[in-house]
Amino acid sequence: MTTVGREFRGTSLTGLLVKIALLGLTAALAVWAIVPLIGARAWIGVGAVALATALLFWIYLSPKRLPLKYLVPGTILLLVFQVAPVLYTVATSTSNFGDGHRGTKDDAITAIETASVTQVPDSPVYDLAVATDGDGDLVFILSDPATGKFFAGDAEGLRELPATAVHKGLSGKITEADGYTVLTTAQAAGRSADITALAVPVDGGGIRSNGLTKAYQGVASRAYDASCDCVREPATGKTWTADGDTGYFTAADGEVLPQGWRVSVGLENYTRVITDERVRGPFLSVLWWNFLFAFASVLVTFALGLGCALALHKKRLKGKAVYRTLLVLPYAMPAFAMLLVWRDMFNKDFGLINTLLGLDVGWFDGAWTARAAVVLVQLWLGYPYMFLVCTGALQSIPSETLEAAKIDGASPWQSFRRVTLPLLLVSLTPLLISSFAFNFNNFNAIQLTTGGAPFAPGSSQVGATDLLITYTYRLAFGGQGAQYGFAAACSVFIFLIVATVSVIGFRRTRAQEEVYR
Amino acid sequence: MRAKIVGVAVAAMLTLAVSACGAGDDKKGDDASAKEPGLVIWADDKRAPVLESFKAQFEKELGVTVKVEAVSKDLQANFVTASQGDNAPDVVVGAHDWIGNLVQNGAIDPVQLTDPQKAGFNADALKAVSYNGQIYGAPYAMENLALIRNTELAPEAPATFEDLVADAKKLKQDGKTEELLSLQVGQNGDAYHAYPLYASAGGYLFGEKANGDYDPADLGVGKPESVKAFEKISALGKDGVLKTSIGSENSTPLFTSKKTAYLVSGPWAIADVKKSGIKYDITPIPGFKGMDKATPFLGVQSFFVAAKGKHKAVAQEFVTNYVTGKDLAKALYTADPRPPALTAAFDEVKAADPDIAKFQAAGAGAKPLPSIPEMSAVWDPFGKAEAAIVGGSDVTETVNGAATAISGAIKK
Amino acid sequence: MKGRDWWRHLVAILAVVFSLLPIVFVVSAALNPQGTLSSTGLVPTDGVSLSNVGDLFAKTSFGHWYLNSLIVAGSAAFISVFISAIAAYAFSRYRFRGRRVGLMALLLIQMFPQFLSIVALFLAFSKVSEVWPGVGFNTLSGLTLVYLGGALGVNTWLMKGFFDTVPKELDESAVMDGASHAQVFFRIILPLVTPILAVTGLLAFIGTINEFLIANVFLTDPESKTLAIGLFGLINEQNRDANFGIFAVGTLLTAIPTVAVFQLLQRYIVGGLTAGAVKG
Repeated sequence: MTTVGREFRGTSLTGLLVKIALLGLTAALAVWAIVPLIGARAWIGVGAVALATALLFWIYLSPKRLPLKYLVPGTILLLVFQVAPVLYTVATSTSNFGDGHRGTKDDAITAIETASVTQVPDSPVYDLAVATDGDGDLVFILSDPATGKFFAGDAEGLRELPATAVHKGLSGKITEADGYTVLTTAQAAGRSADITALAVPVDGGGIRSNGLTKAYQGVASRAYDASCDCVREPATGKTWTADGDTGYFTAADGEVLPQGWRVSVGLENYTRVITDERVRGPFLSVLWWNFLFAFASVLVTFALGLGCALALHKKRLKGKAVYRTLLVLPYAMPAFAMLLVWRDMFNKDFGLINTLLGLDVGWFDGAWTARAAVVLVQLWLGYPYMFLVCTGALQSIPSETLEAAKIDGASPWQSFRRVTLPLLLVSLTPLLISSFAFNFNNFNAIQLTTGGAPFAPGSSQVGATDLLITYTYRLAFGGQGAQYGFAAACSVFIFLIVATVSVIGFRRTRAQEEVYR
Repeated sequence: MRAKIVGVAVAAMLTLAVSACGAGDDKKGDDASAKEPGLVIWADDKRAPVLESFKAQFEKELGVTVKVEAVSKDLQANFVTASQGDNAPDVVVGAHDWIGNLVQNGAIDPVQLTDPQKAGFNADALKAVSYNGQIYGAPYAMENLALIRNTELAPEAPATFEDLVADAKKLKQDGKTEELLSLQVGQNGDAYHAYPLYASAGGYLFGEKANGDYDPADLGVGKPESVKAFEKISALGKDGVLKTSIGSENSTPLFTSKKTAYLVSGPWAIADVKKSGIKYDITPIPGFKGMDKATPFLGVQSFFVAAKGKHKAVAQEFVTNYVTGKDLAKALYTADPRPPALTAAFDEVKAADPDIAKFQAAGAGAKPLPSIPEMSAVWDPFGKAEAAIVGGSDVTETVNGAATAISGAIKK
Repeated sequence: MKGRDWWRHLVAILAVVFSLLPIVFVVSAALNPQGTLSSTGLVPTDGVSLSNVGDLFAKTSFGHWYLNSLIVAGSAAFISVFISAIAAYAFSRYRFRGRRVGLMALLLIQMFPQFLSIVALFLAFSKVSEVWPGVGFNTLSGLTLVYLGGALGVNTWLMKGFFDTVPKELDESAVMDGASHAQVFFRIILPLVTPILAVTGLLAFIGTINEFLIANVFLTDPESKTLAIGLFGLINEQNRDANFGIFAVGTLLTAIPTVAVFQLLQRYIVGGLTAGAVKG
């Protein structure tokens, strides 16, 4: 704590000005953010912005709270754009959120009723002009092409208009109607929601707009009845009762309406992960390969990256800049594209690798060749990253340290083993662990290359190169629509595994001392 | 000292805040003009540019601004999420087999077509966009697989699949080609391209209800017929007719580079074939000798009205009264040549483009791709079973494994 | 002395060959006038032409994508390096409650599968787009903000490791001389860790330019797209084969800014700045 407490003494004029400008900018941003929130009457949002701004001022106007001053900008962004979405996702893991269960019960009811609207058989199709009356309320000006009669319809009902009151343009469109204002398309488009909502009540249904130029007499064959909490179909007398456990309307004969809603299912998704044989069965074998893949990916990329960095770590080496640039190229290419290119290069009959080497190896047909192939691809994609980082790290090792080792008579290997590597690991262990974590969940690396292949005959669920994440992805999204709730529960499990391993990994390494000293 | 700093800071902030208010007001003015009534259309990367080229015409004839947006990846899933998030477009262009999933999510509304409008469409296309007794989209183009043949290498259209294999083997023996057939399988299989052969050998995916809808309770995979059908596919794999090394990325190029005389593909491959200058013919995929016809799946590209769109009335106007017109159907054909679903447009373009009629003939009797949500549980296991069997694995075990996976994934 | 460098050249040349092999494949596809995927080998078979370049610019809004990517990746990289650096400074130099937990949490949060959070981000930004269209969907500023959410994370760890290697005595003596904490950070620490700032800057730049899962849901307007998402669209499903030539051109052009940034930063990464400063 020796560095803290004296900071004010050295505050320069520049520092002060920058501070004032930044705080001013913060205030300006807050105002910019709050004005539309007030307009939208989003009081919680207003409160949040106000609170955040107050917090920022509290932190930066005080001479204390130094660490916070440095941490707050990143933390706010992290909380808003990473932590909050993750929390939301975790929250969905106790629901049946997914295709067929996306919205609320009201959404489902609306969808069911809308989907049941059909045209009344043998009813006329009208030409429509959307108009407003003196009060600005919507009126449908209708003409029945079969009879040549004109009508005006609104929420009250349908009235016939004298033929003389309606005027048509050259194209046959209704352009004017006495006593009403016919809207232009753009005007009508602005009242789109009102137009869709209007059904002019007539015997046997309502006249609804079908676009802006046609109208038809439609009837909703199904309607929600709050008294029984069910959907009724009067024509057949059938009812579907709301089931709050499954989020579906279910009939007595077991028929289920497709439009469901989101309900809480408690821990069902979690118990499914543990008890479902399809999930649990291959879990251990996938987990084992998953660890191997992540570990091997980190190891080979680090080894090659470090090797190259060491090779080029010499002053005045000829062509050093060119080598460096070429080595970094794989990292500069879009990864998803190169994954696809690599996949094609491994093609048994037409791939570049077999063609060049004169081989006939079905790379993705055998478990171990496929595994070797995906690790090789990861090596290609990832080693420039390790090369860059190692190059940076090597620069920061004081040359005196190495000189000292040399004077002590250490061979190049000894000085690397005893001096360089330990120093490198101090700064790079956190990176290696996070790289491990990244590769543990490296979805694209598998999905875009083998897609999990090879699959044992009779098992399309789990392949030899499947990672937990590609495997659960197939379970959660490969079935009948996306099951986000279940996917979230799977992710929580995977997360717990990776997190535990990483934390243990940390405690076991010397990096711990550096981090916690 | 401290007080002074705070004072200066507050003054500076007030100044900036006031200027921010001014900026904020400006912003609002811009938004008002940007938010004027319009129509937002979502399509994939293939169709968005086609629609974009009609933007000016749409705007003139509809009288509202039109915005065409391309969603490059997972258009269907993003559309569903956007609907939930109150950010949906007004119209979506997609394949008819999305309908089941879009309906269960309440993302699209039925389209009310008049009887004359319905009569104008190809009956199969109309059936494809029907779901639970409602029509959910305005179809505009149809597509199905056919056999595309290099007529210089293979002048005769094979009558049966066995004939095809025999002719292809002869070509290969004579050193004229390197591959017997280009039918994409890929590392993890391709159920869509495998289906015609599977159907010819007697297999089916879902049974049909009395009203012609697919019945998710009657799963055909795992039935004795499906095992028999896959026996046929297994034999083709052993023979080298089907190969997992031929996938979506190289099936057409194998044909255009004359490495094979036969290609099983759809209208989307024709542009490349034409570019290569090969003389070709399009015929139905031949069935196995003495067995059923090799009927492909029928896919129908459609315009859907989003249920949660902000300008639904305009979207309905666009989809029911505008897209269903002959001129637009023809224009869409010109930009992306696939058989128009509108009979009047089809009749006009087929005179100038014989391929269109040939594809239509190849698709005679084609079953629409199942649009029931259960179908999405079939694609992956079915494809993998195909790939494994082509690769030589035991048929019964593999098919039963696929059947277990599919029925396990279908909700009860 | 010179004779002992042969192994360095050998390692470098082998690695370069390994690096370039798939890229040569892409270059050959880019120059192949046929423009399809499997017509491509290591050597263009149908002659060499630049027709794919013309097609790329004629058929797509490639120029827009390019500019958008540069803006997003450039600003996201610059700001995130700054945010990361100040956080790493706090983690390295101060001892405070929650430090251990904070460091661990930074790492753990990165391990949550991202494709799931995207639904949540999408729903949140639907609201944001209504209230603040300036940072909503189809805006580069909104996308940049989302990317900045990851500013704290792996890079912070990386930097903290390097900050730790800068002797504490340096800043302590500066404080003795009357420097404020900000001055210590900007005038003493930052110059010493330039190599790692350059490295993380480059990593952030590359990471952003390649990102397409979030960009895909965020940018639907053709002119607001970034390179990754635009290029991905080119090789979507049925387009994949036919567009491979122009896609290859796009991929190679995408690599140019990255290489340029690397060249720009190389002298900081390699330069003797560190050694000199530490000695001084």
